[in-house]
Parts: sequence; C-alpha cells; structure tokens
Amino acid sequence: MGKLIKYEIRGNYKFIAGVLALVLILTTGMYAYMTNTKGGSPFEAMFVFLSFLVIFGTLLATFLYIVNSFRKELYEDRGYLTFTLPLTGNQILGAKLIVALIWFTTLGIVIALYHLIMLYIFTPYDISLSQIFETLMDIGLPFRDIIASIIFTFVNGTITLILIYFSMAISRVTFRNKKIGGLWFLIFLVLNALIAFSQVKVAQLLPYYLDISSFRIGRIDMFSYGFHIDVDSYGVMMTGNFGNILFNIASFIYSIGIGVLTFLGTGYLIEHKIDL
Amino acid sequence: MKHMVEIRNLTKTYFTKRALNNINLNIEEGKVVGILGPNGSGKTTLIKILTGLLRQSKGEVLIDGHKVGTYTKSIVSYLPDRNFLYTWMTVKDAFMFYKDFYRDFDEGKFKELLDFMQLEMDMKIRTLSKGMHEKLNLALVLSRNAKLYVLDEPIAGVDPVARDQILDAIINNYNEKSSMLITTHLVRDMENIFDDVVFLKNGEIVLEGNAEVLREEKGKRIDEIYKEIFVV
Repeated sequence: MGKLIKYEIRGNYKFIAGVLALVLILTTGMYAYMTNTKGGSPFEAMFVFLSFLVIFGTLLATFLYIVNSFRKELYEDRGYLTFTLPLTGNQILGAKLIVALIWFTTLGIVIALYHLIMLYIFTPYDISLSQIFETLMDIGLPFRDIIASIIFTFVNGTITLILIYFSMAISRVTFRNKKIGGLWFLIFLVLNALIAFSQVKVAQLLPYYLDISSFRIGRIDMFSYGFHIDVDSYGVMMTGNFGNILFNIASFIYSIGIGVLTFLGTGYLIEHKIDL
Repeated sequence: MKHMVEIRNLTKTYFTKRALNNINLNIEEGKVVGILGPNGSGKTTLIKILTGLLRQSKGEVLIDGHKVGTYTKSIVSYLPDRNFLYTWMTVKDAFMFYKDFYRDFDEGKFKELLDFMQLEMDMKIRTLSKGMHEKLNLALVLSRNAKLYVLDEPIAGVDPVARDQILDAIINNYNEKSSMLITTHLVRDMENIFDDVVFLKNGEIVLEGNAEVLREEKGKRIDEIYKEIFVV
C-alpha cells in the first residue's frame, strides 16, 4: 500500500503545488489591498471579490480533482494498471484515502498558517510574536476543545470521503454506462441523508454525552449549560452556551462503525464486483 | 504436464448478452497459446477474467491452482489492448513502478528490451506514439519472469516495423517455464509462434488443438483455417 501511496503522491503533487501557489498569491494580494487602501476604489473591491471567488473555486476544483482520482480508476484505462496490481481492494482504497487526507490536511494547514502570517505582516499595530502568544495564553484558549474539534472534523471528513468512494463504487457496479457515472453523487446524497437520520435516532436512543472540557459523561439534562442545540451533519456534536463541546458517545461510535463498514464494503466491491 | 490455467464451464453474461458460453480449456505450462477470433468473439472477455478485471457469471478459473485474486495477479503479466500506464509518468517512472510492485521484474532484461525497442528512459508517456506505447508496454510485461503472460492484441494498430520488433521481442524473451496466452485477429503475422490455438466464435470454442497437428490435418495454414471458420 505504501508503494501505491508514493505513486499517487507523485502523480498529484504538481497539481496541488500549483493550486497552493495560486491561492497563496491571491491571498497575499487580498491582504495587501485590504490593508493598504483607504476607502477603496471599485477596482480594488472587484479585485478582492474576484480573488475570493477564484480561491473558493480553486479549492472546490481541488476537492473534486482529489476525489475524482478514485473515479478515474473505475472509468479510465489507468484502472487496467491499478486493478491488476497484486494488492487487495482494501489496500488500493486505503492508499487513495490516505493520499486524499494528506492533500486536504496539507492544504488546510498551509492555507491557515499563511492567513496567520498575512495577519501578522499586515496588522497595523507593532506587535511581536511573543506578545501574541502571551495574549493567547492569558485569554485561556480552550485547547482541549480545539483539539477535540480538529479530531472530530478529521474523523467526519474521513467518513465522508469513504462514503463518496463507496457511492462511486456502487454506481460503477450498478451502472456500467460512463455517461451516468455522475449518479454517484445522488447515491452519496441519499446515503448521507439516511446515515445522518439514523445517527440522530441513535443519539436519541442512547442520549449519553461526553463533555470534552470536563471529561464528564452524562445525559444532557445533567449538564446545566443552557444548550442551544447545534447538531452537526452527523447529529452527534453539540455546543453549549459556554463554549463547551459535547459528543454523543453512541452516535460517534456508530459513525466510526459506518465508516469502517463502508470502507470494507468498498474494498470488497473493488476486489470482487467491479467489471472494467 | 502441469496445467497453468484451468477453465471449467466458464460463462459470462452482460444482461441478456452472453459473451462467453460454457468454456472449458486447459493451458499447459510452457505453451504459447493463440486465442483467435474476430472482434466480439469473447477473446478480451476471457483474458479480462483471467487477469481479475472481470468476474465470471458461472464456472471456475484456476491459475497455478489458485482462484483469480491477489496471488494470481502477482504471477500473471498482462498486456492490455490499451494505454494503461499513468499519463504523468516517464518511461523511467513506469520502470520503477513495475520494479516496486512485481518481485519477478528483471531490471536488466527491461534495459535490454528498451534498447532493442529504441526507447529512452526520459521519454514522457503522454508524448509516445501508438507504436512506441505498445513497445514500452510489451517491454514492461516481458521483463517480468511471470508464470503466465497474457497479451491482448499485441500487434494491433502498429506499423510493420514495430510489428516485427514486437514479434521478435516476444520470441526472444519468452520463458519456457511459463505459459503465454495471446489474443489476436492478425493470425498470419503471429501463427508461427503458437504451440496451440483456440478458435473462439460468439463466446464458444469452435476448434482447438496443437497448431502443427491442425495444419497437417487440414492441409492449411492456421490463418486459412481461421478464414474458413469465420468467413461465412
């Protein structure tokens, strides 16, 4: 699997580097215009707006490009090479998934760090990095909550990617015709809706939550935070009025179970069902 | 003699269309077997099942005594009838790829074949002509010391010079401990390298046997027998 990861990265890195270069150049331009102009001319406003659009469009295209790498194996001639390698379906899928996660993580971290650097460079106040760090420590950032949210986003992102791959494989097995290959997206939407619905049901059936801040476990009514219930796409995370993050334990485990099952299901389809 | 490939009651259907109908075939170790038939006769379907790219509807296929899967993929060297290499690659990348994935890949043999085919390591895959593609693909496939070689239409669509080079490469690099399965409809160009031939028509075997014996029995060349069977 490691070898396939290596070749997947080699096949994509130029595209990803190009995307990063474009996004970073436009980001720099945006910050420069926003901080160095007073009042702003229509041209400058247009530049910032268009830059934002291009960045958004580029990131969306990158998402589709990365996700499409799996679909290409199913519909294009390159599948004749990949699917005749002495690898199991799980190994091929695992390599695709890991490389997609590497790219999304790289893009996310580099773009976020670059924004911080830009903020630091273009801030109108003369302030040192150590002062910023001290201020952040004084505010008392909820690091535990932040880390928990990052892990949660990563797990949810991984499950979403697996669901996308599963939908593509199901679409390929069911409809051999390439013209209706885009049907995977419809399958993905339906599956996503069904899973989200079942997750809410699981959360209702077993309403025990973990408070990340205090590591306490209990039912919602045991936590006197005054919740505004802010259910995420998988119906398992809530945010309290004091910024506390609560995970529904059963639903979280259920999501991971769904992820594992769809991963194994996709691996099985690759190895035993897909006809090229 | 040991059977490298055993095919029993193999059937493949696509909805209502039957691409292969109850095929029974054994391929012996050390033999070069020609699977002959016009387009649509089921040749490619048969070898796609052998290489794990298609699933049979009925029947059983064993390669070196194993069902088609990860093990058989490690001992089968397959040349598809299309440009299957990743388009971002150079010839060197493709060479490294094969070296990384196949333990039986012979680096020295590949370099010899590359020289013979007049190809360079720094050539980009996307810039190669049809003939160069075919020669590179064949160099990669023949550089493996595989137990079974499966070549799908190796000389289709290439010019006569490239065709001769490809045929020479197959003859010179064939390993006698292995078996080789070649599909083609260009019978006249290839018949001299076949030990056995199998004629496929509408997904069924209509004639099979030792090439030399068939020539003697019928008093004709294999390509004449081919025309007799397929020209109605």
